[in-house]
Amino acid sequence: MKSQSMSSLKIDNLQLSQQGKLLLSLNEEVKGGEVLTIMGPSGSGKSTLLNWLVGMLPSDFYANGELYLNQQIITNTASHLRNIGLLYQDPLLFPHLTVEGNIAFAMPKGDKKTRKDEISEALNQVGLAGMEKRCPQNLSGGQQARVALLRVLLSKPKAILLDEPFSKLDSQLRQETRQLVFEQIQRYSLPAVMVTHDESDAIAAQGKVITLDALSLNQAAS
Amino acid sequence: MIVANTLFTRLVRNSPYLLIALLVVPVLGGLLGVLLPAFGWFPALGANEFGLFGFVQLFNTPGIERMVLLSFGTSLVSTLLAFVITVLILASYFNSPWLKRIQRLLGPILVIPHAAAAIAIGFLITPSGFLSRLISPWLTGWDIPPDWLFPHDPYGLSIILGLTLKELPFLLLIALGVLAQPEIGKTLKAQHKVASSLGYCPMTGFFKVILPSLYGYMRLPILAVLAYSSASVEIPLILGSNTPPTLAVAIMQWFNDVDLSLRIKASSGAILQILITLSLLGSWCLLELLVKKCSTSFLVNGEREYGGMLIQRMTHLITTVMLSVICLALVAMVLWSFAGFWSFPDLLPQQLVTLHWSSALLQMQTPLFNTLVIAISTTLIAIALTLFVLEAEQQNTKTISAISGFIIYLPLLIPSIAFLFGLVWLFEQVNSQHAYINVVFSHLLFVLPYVFLSLANSYRRLDPRFSTVAASLGVQPSKIFWQLKLPLLLSPILIASALGLAISFSQYLPTLLSGAGRINTITTEAVTLANGASRRTSAVYALMQMLLPALFFILAWAAPKLFFRNRG
Amino acid sequence: MRVSNYYRKILVSLCLLSVFSLSSNSFADEANSTAESTSRVWKNVEMRGTKQDVYFHAWGGDQQINNYIQWAAKQVKEKYKINLHHVKLTDTSEAVSRVLAEKAADNHRNGQVDLVWINGANFASMAKYQLLAADWAGELPNFQLTNPTNNPAMTRDFGVPTQGMEAPWGQAALTFYFDSLKVNDVPETLSDLLIWSEKHPGHFTYPKPPDFLGMSFLKYALLVLSESQPKSIQDKLYQPVTAESEAELLPALWQFLDQLHPTLWRQGKHFVSNGLALRRLMSDTELQVSFTFSAAEIPSAISRYDLPDSTRSYRMKDGSLSNIHFVAIPYNSPHIEGAKLVANFLLSPEAQARKQKTVIWGDSSVLDLSQLTPTQKALFDVNEQQHLSANIINIDNTRLLSELHPSWVKVITEQWLTRYGVQ
Repeated sequence: MKSQSMSSLKIDNLQLSQQGKLLLSLNEEVKGGEVLTIMGPSGSGKSTLLNWLVGMLPSDFYANGELYLNQQIITNTASHLRNIGLLYQDPLLFPHLTVEGNIAFAMPKGDKKTRKDEISEALNQVGLAGMEKRCPQNLSGGQQARVALLRVLLSKPKAILLDEPFSKLDSQLRQETRQLVFEQIQRYSLPAVMVTHDESDAIAAQGKVITLDALSLNQAAS
Repeated sequence: MIVANTLFTRLVRNSPYLLIALLVVPVLGGLLGVLLPAFGWFPALGANEFGLFGFVQLFNTPGIERMVLLSFGTSLVSTLLAFVITVLILASYFNSPWLKRIQRLLGPILVIPHAAAAIAIGFLITPSGFLSRLISPWLTGWDIPPDWLFPHDPYGLSIILGLTLKELPFLLLIALGVLAQPEIGKTLKAQHKVASSLGYCPMTGFFKVILPSLYGYMRLPILAVLAYSSASVEIPLILGSNTPPTLAVAIMQWFNDVDLSLRIKASSGAILQILITLSLLGSWCLLELLVKKCSTSFLVNGEREYGGMLIQRMTHLITTVMLSVICLALVAMVLWSFAGFWSFPDLLPQQLVTLHWSSALLQMQTPLFNTLVIAISTTLIAIALTLFVLEAEQQNTKTISAISGFIIYLPLLIPSIAFLFGLVWLFEQVNSQHAYINVVFSHLLFVLPYVFLSLANSYRRLDPRFSTVAASLGVQPSKIFWQLKLPLLLSPILIASALGLAISFSQYLPTLLSGAGRINTITTEAVTLANGASRRTSAVYALMQMLLPALFFILAWAAPKLFFRNRG
Repeated sequence: MRVSNYYRKILVSLCLLSVFSLSSNSFADEANSTAESTSRVWKNVEMRGTKQDVYFHAWGGDQQINNYIQWAAKQVKEKYKINLHHVKLTDTSEAVSRVLAEKAADNHRNGQVDLVWINGANFASMAKYQLLAADWAGELPNFQLTNPTNNPAMTRDFGVPTQGMEAPWGQAALTFYFDSLKVNDVPETLSDLLIWSEKHPGHFTYPKPPDFLGMSFLKYALLVLSESQPKSIQDKLYQPVTAESEAELLPALWQFLDQLHPTLWRQGKHFVSNGLALRRLMSDTELQVSFTFSAAEIPSAISRYDLPDSTRSYRMKDGSLSNIHFVAIPYNSPHIEGAKLVANFLLSPEAQARKQKTVIWGDSSVLDLSQLTPTQKALFDVNEQQHLSANIINIDNTRLLSELHPSWVKVITEQWLTRYGVQ
């Protein structure tokens, strides 16, 4: 798939505040296949930003500004209708479903056979061939992370948010998984926002890096 | 795991045996005390030969099949209803502040003794009840109450209504207790968020992601509710038909019949009751299998939305109706406790008086003291023992065996009516004359399982790494237990304590039987009065019964918040 | 003390057979020496009973009665330093079960029940399984005040000889009551009741047997219905039931009930479980006519707003079932002397007179006023202000009907349950 000019996530003049106190302000546009990296210590408002992006801003926060996904305004769209995929540091696979079930859960409705083939192919691509019927609890950490990634990607999101996605993986695995994730983001041409602590994540993402200070705003280009 | 050999660890290691003994001996002993007479052995009545005549008598009882059917049907339907409504409420209000509010409104229902709840509901729905007064005579034209066969209908609808309203808060509280546990709750909520980010509407997300995991934690409580309702006495006695009554009510009446030879039939009936309860549990498990089988493809079919709005509206309606029923019952109860004469179709009493409160409060001191002493001692024992047993599990790095796990729920799964009469006989055998100890002992049978039920999951879910980290820092196991695990588990422990107290407060049959009637608690007084002629006095007692546990529940919910707030 | 002619006859024949066959002299001598030994025995009882704890198992559903027992506890505390504990029962059979369980467990000495309020089928049951201490009632000095030799009801409980196993405490007769504002055609006979209920369907019912009050209503009906039968057949109601007497007497009852039931509350498809529920239904105005065994509960219920102020009570003209209630001591009571002291106190003119007062309890005395000194008699004078409902209409011109032989209870219950128990 080629990068499409249409695909973008635009944060338009966002101002996030808590009890009248400005937490951060941001004005960015992320194009399909690009990764916007947000860095900063805890308390700097990273997770609040993510919550706003997925539409789950806690009630004690206040947001001003708009969010556009592929030129459509989605600021007030319910979170489950936003088509924004989420990848956490924990894979959060559903324990009551198999690997295949977890992925099928995420996929749009469709012919059973087609979906099944698609899952097999995807698993194959990330080196998990034949693991369809396994229980997620019995997979290694790296395997779980890959299933979680497939789950997000096969749900056909229009953008993707990465919340410290690699922080629980050891360095070897981290590198591999990271590479896989960024490859897939490119492949599906998704605008991505990544929140991380880790400098190397930011470098690997090869995109714009924004560093948030606690309760203030700083920008630096990489 | 290698554990240091200290007094604490030895104590902990041996606690499971104590727990098992405390539960097995009375239940099995009590069962024996029923089993022997069931098969015709009751020397005190001059019956010394084993035989089946008890059962022959039992099956010749007119309407026995209706009794069995009524017991089976009402408990299955009410448990199913309570479960479905619980799930609907959770699904509709998951992540909404209303969940907490509903819980706060329903919480007190949990602690209303069954008899008082039944009377309160009865007052609402009887032809001369509050509901009928609300619409009379302006809408209905009724100057005298209509002569309807409801409550007391032969199909057990009024029993189902009563049982459902009583079971629902319990199931909801259990579910919320699970969700309140940091580990499980956080994971489930995050998973729900994932489902949401994958495009699932919150309702579908709940059913496909949360429920399958949550159900595992609710399973035993549900089975306990099912077993309890199949053999409960108070609600069917007050709201149910008596032509014929449910089997459990009939058994109690036979046990209490002046014709002592009916004891043998009653004992045979108790055995039949056990079989009914077992088959109910079996049916539920079959139902589970069926649902599981049918739902596998449903879970992963990719459908994001199933008329969620419709279901949500329906749930709003059910919840509103339910809460209004409860509120109206409460209002009626309060009105009764202050009522002068109150004739149909007056919506309000002719005058309000404080006579009922003042005379009841004068007589209430001893029962109140007894209630508190018994409940607090029982709950303390239950909490301590439960924590030790759970700690023993962690030290042995395995959960207690399947058999022990089952035994803990024995008193909940075996109808109490079947073994309590035998238990009194057992107390006689060991010649235990200390009424207080006997009562605490028998309360423990019912409090312990609930406390264990409500604590076990949180304890088992506690991240083992906390203690590993602490141990690696050279901290003693006892210190890890007292200073690390207990504070982490403060909230579930307090809730379990409040639950334990509430369960103890509400015990009627065990208090009456093992206390030889010498120990009056608020509940025994209330049931005695509830069976009496004055709604007014029983309203006072019922309200007292609600206030008492409600106080402890509020403490249990508020204390951890204060505690953690102080820590910043 | 009113006793039916039937009892008088039985007594006379018994006396003729057993007592007067002995020499009349020896009877008198025996009476003297008995009196002497009684007082010695009684001193002994007083000595040993002092300071004992006595657990009195008595139905606790009525606040007035509970208060009376509390008063009695205070009195015996002052007199004998006895600690009288009222164990409140919902049903007397609980105490019966308890003693039975103790016997089953070979606890023959250290029972939990010292004194139990009892009569009728509960007594018959306990007597049958030998759960009661025997031959003690005669020892009580105050027992003589009931004039037992002239008053056979004091030594018979529902027709069963008490054999000194219980001491009388009070007596009651079936009393009906109604709301005088709502009912102006009060049914005063059994046949009236049927007609009234047909005219006003759904406003009368009775508790499901074997409830005591429900059973009492059935007994009343059976006694009245059997009056058309020859005397010899009627008398069979006071004897152990046989297949023959059943066939002669019960069909009339079933025929009556078959007619009555469709007119009852809930069309006779549901019956309340106990007598107190009747009062609640009266209070809810679902019923308009009801009945009770303790007439005194009516004014007291009115004072507590549990019944409308316009409630009035009356007795049926064709007869009112009456019975005596007793206290008994289980065979394994460890405080038998204390229990006797309490039983004796309960029989004292002071206690009986207080009990008879409507504001206290209103339960009729069992003492024979002719046996009392003028001062004692004066205790019974009524000078209290009474509610109108305390004046029982027809009280002076009702016939008191005696209880049936207890064996009828089981037969009636069983057949009732077969006929009407499954609907």
